[in-house]
Amino acid sequence: MAGVSKSFTIPAVRRDTVREHALDFFRRRPSEKLQVLTDVSFELRRGESLGLMGRNGSGKSTLLKIAAGIYTPDAGQVSLRAAITPILELGIGWNPDLDAIDNIELLGTVMGLSLRELRAAHDEILGFAGLERFANLELRHYSSGMGARLAYAVAFRAVREVLILDEIFAVGDAGFRERCEARYRELHRAGRSMLLVTHDPHVISAFCDRALLLEGGRIIAQGRARDIADAYLALLTRGAQASMPEQHA
Amino acid sequence: MPGGAGGFRHDNIGGLVWTLVRTDFATRYHGTIGGFLWALLKPLTMFLVLLFVFSYVFVNTPQYKIGLILGLFLYEFFQESSRTGLQSLRAKAYLLTKARFPTWVVVVTSMSNAVITLALFSVVLLAALFAVGRPPSLVGILLYAWYQLQFFAVVTGFSLATSVLFMRYRDLNQVWDVATQAGFFVAPIVYPISILPERIHFYLYLWPPTAVILFSRSVLIDQTIPSLRAHLLLSLEAATALAIGAFIFRLRAPRVPEFL
Repeated sequence: MAGVSKSFTIPAVRRDTVREHALDFFRRRPSEKLQVLTDVSFELRRGESLGLMGRNGSGKSTLLKIAAGIYTPDAGQVSLRAAITPILELGIGWNPDLDAIDNIELLGTVMGLSLRELRAAHDEILGFAGLERFANLELRHYSSGMGARLAYAVAFRAVREVLILDEIFAVGDAGFRERCEARYRELHRAGRSMLLVTHDPHVISAFCDRALLLEGGRIIAQGRARDIADAYLALLTRGAQASMPEQHA
Repeated sequence: MPGGAGGFRHDNIGGLVWTLVRTDFATRYHGTIGGFLWALLKPLTMFLVLLFVFSYVFVNTPQYKIGLILGLFLYEFFQESSRTGLQSLRAKAYLLTKARFPTWVVVVTSMSNAVITLALFSVVLLAALFAVGRPPSLVGILLYAWYQLQFFAVVTGFSLATSVLFMRYRDLNQVWDVATQAGFFVAPIVYPISILPERIHFYLYLWPPTAVILFSRSVLIDQTIPSLRAHLLLSLEAATALAIGAFIFRLRAPRVPEFL
């Protein structure tokens, strides 16, 4: 990723309908530009596990979506030499009228798996998610945790060469997290490249070779995972101190 | 976005298309009596009801009766497929933010239910024409299939454009519902086009269902083939709609996830 910038336009007055556009056609529409990422550059090497840390609103999710090809950057380039499988916002959104098997096929084919691969992997995916008993249950009856587990299980099965993960180890119970961690290590050993976002310094230290620290849409530090985890904690501490009311003697 | 070596390439478009069609089909008829069978029964039932009703109203004009049924079904296809196409990207928002894949597939497959219904209706209609001793010629049947293909191209172009515009204009579906209701009377479905002055026929033909309905009636019921010029104009109309739709889609689709 080289020199990537991204902004969003936030209008002061929303106009979402044909009627509003027609009625206010000649009226000025003030808007504010929200710069989310500025000149972000980094490289994810083959077989590397790269961590991404930053406070809420620092631009991590936008950066991941650009890396995954879901958002288009305003400037800069994303050069890819391998196929990407993103695991983003996976707890959100399924087709609630379909059962787990149909939803597995829907999400799996979107992620590039063939139907033959998916049909052969139904049991493995449901087993990974711990949902074998609920294979024929419509997703409307799933809890959000069950839905998220199912989605992660599909995505972990769909991994091709590069895996992009957003807060993966914050989902599910201890047993599910253990399976995710084991699968992550297995993929890493197999030479897959990983881009991992988390707020947890322990996860960064344990699972990443290298890390980046994002603040205000810019990379402010990069280096060894442990050092970046410490820098992130220091950033949080400084932020907390700055927001504390002054103590008067 | 410049990407190298196919990092965003989707290796399995065929499987994706089939899964979207199959799950759309399953979702639509889920929970209704007969499940999937309902999809097969619906056009047949509708056809029989209309045939029964119009057998009493227009006893002496069988051509009008069957032409009316054909027009109603074709217009129903237009309304249904354009409505689902317009709403397709928003309806599948939960997939668009998960991974990068060719989103045009979502728009095109969203029309599959309407296409299946039209195909089944066409089979039933042809069977009925054979049964009443008015079988269309092979050329007529092939031309009818060609017109439907062009109709599909028109609706696809329309859907590609409106599916991305619907992200910005959230009442576009309501505007389109009103337009298609008014358009029902622009297309000569319940009235013969001959009752209108010839000078305005050209404008009626600009509304795509008009040409498709009239041409389909010509080849299947009246057993006459429209002129070559008429065919070329229909093809031009279909190609233009598809090209404009694809252009707007290409322009705006990359930003669609930002609206979700």
